[in-house]
Amino acid sequence: MNMSSAHKSNLGWSAVGAVCAIVLALLWAAPLLWALSTALRPELETVSADFHWLPQAWTLDAFRKTLAAGNLLRWLFNSALVALSVTVVTMAISLMAAYAFSQLRFRGKGILFALAMLAFLLPFEALLVPLFRTMNQLGMINSYAGIVLPQVVSPVVIYVFKQFFDEIPADFREAAVMDGAGPLRVLWSVYLPISGNIVWAMAIVTFIAAWNNFLWPFIIVTSTDMMTIPLGLTQTYDAFGVRYAQLMAAALLGAFPVALAYILFQKKVTQGFLAASGLK
Amino acid sequence: MASVRLRGIEKRYGDNLVIKGIDLDIEDGQFVVFVGPSGCGKSTLLRMIAGLEDISSGTLELDGKVCNGVEPAKRGIAMVFQSYALYPHMTVAENMGFALKLAKVPQAEIGERVRRAADALQIGHLLERKPKALSGGQRQRVAIGRAIVRKPEVFLFDEPLSNLDAALRAQTRVELAHLHRELGSTMIYVTHDQVEAMTLGQKIVVFNGGRIEQVGTPLELYERPANLFVAGFLGSPRMNVIPVTLAGEEGDAAVVRLPDGSTAAVAAGAGRLAPGAALRLGLRPEHLRLASTGFGATVGLVEYLGDVTLVHVQVPGVDGMLAVKVYSGGPAPASGSRVALAFDPARAYLFDESGAALSSTTAHAAAL
Repeated sequence: MNMSSAHKSNLGWSAVGAVCAIVLALLWAAPLLWALSTALRPELETVSADFHWLPQAWTLDAFRKTLAAGNLLRWLFNSALVALSVTVVTMAISLMAAYAFSQLRFRGKGILFALAMLAFLLPFEALLVPLFRTMNQLGMINSYAGIVLPQVVSPVVIYVFKQFFDEIPADFREAAVMDGAGPLRVLWSVYLPISGNIVWAMAIVTFIAAWNNFLWPFIIVTSTDMMTIPLGLTQTYDAFGVRYAQLMAAALLGAFPVALAYILFQKKVTQGFLAASGLK
Repeated sequence: MASVRLRGIEKRYGDNLVIKGIDLDIEDGQFVVFVGPSGCGKSTLLRMIAGLEDISSGTLELDGKVCNGVEPAKRGIAMVFQSYALYPHMTVAENMGFALKLAKVPQAEIGERVRRAADALQIGHLLERKPKALSGGQRQRVAIGRAIVRKPEVFLFDEPLSNLDAALRAQTRVELAHLHRELGSTMIYVTHDQVEAMTLGQKIVVFNGGRIEQVGTPLELYERPANLFVAGFLGSPRMNVIPVTLAGEEGDAAVVRLPDGSTAAVAAGAGRLAPGAALRLGLRPEHLRLASTGFGATVGLVEYLGDVTLVHVQVPGVDGMLAVKVYSGGPAPASGSRVALAFDPARAYLFDESGAALSSTTAHAAAL
């Protein structure tokens, strides 16, 4: 096969790949685009029997009413506070745990690590009742602490950090120890900077998961003022039933901050996952 | 500067005893080299001195103080790692000043000490660079600089030249020797390279299998090896070893029977060994010579190295080839030709069945 034919064959496969990627992207984006389209319609049009991809009458009425309802901004604040708190505490706990499991020598390390990873096997739903009882006894129902605390231990994040720390040459730690650094200082001054990208990646993933978490806030929160965005969206109804345009507007407004965060930090997330996989 | 004293040092990993009772004294200001093959325990012992490994039993004293349980940073020791271990996210200046920063030394003093050390090592122009922008030799200097700024009592070097090319290694060796003369500090240097050991060490400690085989100056170890292991480890090419039997004694010399049946005198005491005892004759390549009479051999391979030619010969009854150094100007026989080999009895060594050297009876050996 000569160079020209090989080149044409490569172009052909590239075109096929591009078409597949576009189709998949459209399939993935379709619900999002439909949500946007619905949010830009009058409420009546959302329940019409006629199907139109685009609104027949464009309006920002749904967004106006959602913002005017007063609770959305409060829910955004709650989601931001909860997601940030979960992210910071999860990163702190996971980094320290991963460092200990990876670099320190102590009795029972293997068993402790196995126990921590055993949590992988337990679905969160299995812990709902005992967690609720515990939070109730501690008086943390309808509190930020009650929402945040059960979410701050993540075996997945500990495992990812531990695997990454295992790959860092021990010489760095030993050099820092010779320089007079204790374990926390070694973690803060040496391992954390080296692990920057993977920490960013895990932080973003944790933030998004905490932002989108519906189940636990649904269990622990009964007060409208303490709701997070996913929970608050279920309140978007009135005596006439669900307001689909307002519901979609609220969903889009609620998703906007986390989407923006991902767009801003996308490069760090990609670099982090590449670092974790060992690829340069 | 500080002395280092090891008494009965042992290291166990589970049931595995890897360091088997080490007693060693290192004087204040001495440059001591730990040398031995891979896995002999030299790096493990260095790490125990540094405090990076626990001591299973025995005592480590630094300047007269027992330091077994003392944290590494409080032992007055600085270490240069084989991989340099420069923090990749810090500049050269930050790498060198990190220990001082942890010790809460004022920033101005940190800057001054870093600058002084950098100038001494000719890396002052690299202070704002990160390690990835440095060459291997530059990283080596930064690693040494990081140790120097701490003004330690003892410097530890763990095979610091092994990642450098041959030319840079030779140059850095000279610089390290110069550094020791300037600082006068106690230095313990680990290497598997006998050339580094011979050129750098004021005292060499040869390790094998977790034990010390011999301690001495480079000259002592080369001229009076205590056993076959030390004799074979130091010197390149290795010492030639020929299986012989004790035929008798002639005055101060032992007479041995070579594999071809001929006899030769060796300036070594036979002690209480009876005639017929199995021994091993050690001859360094530079002490064997091609002669008109001697024990017979066949030339196998001739290697021209410029100033010296290595002639590898096969001797009947001896496994493997023997190496003979022929210096420039000397005859270089053709491969396959028959030659006769001779040696000076005073430059030959005898080892008993256990590998221990029989004592030499020469005045030269007595003078060492």
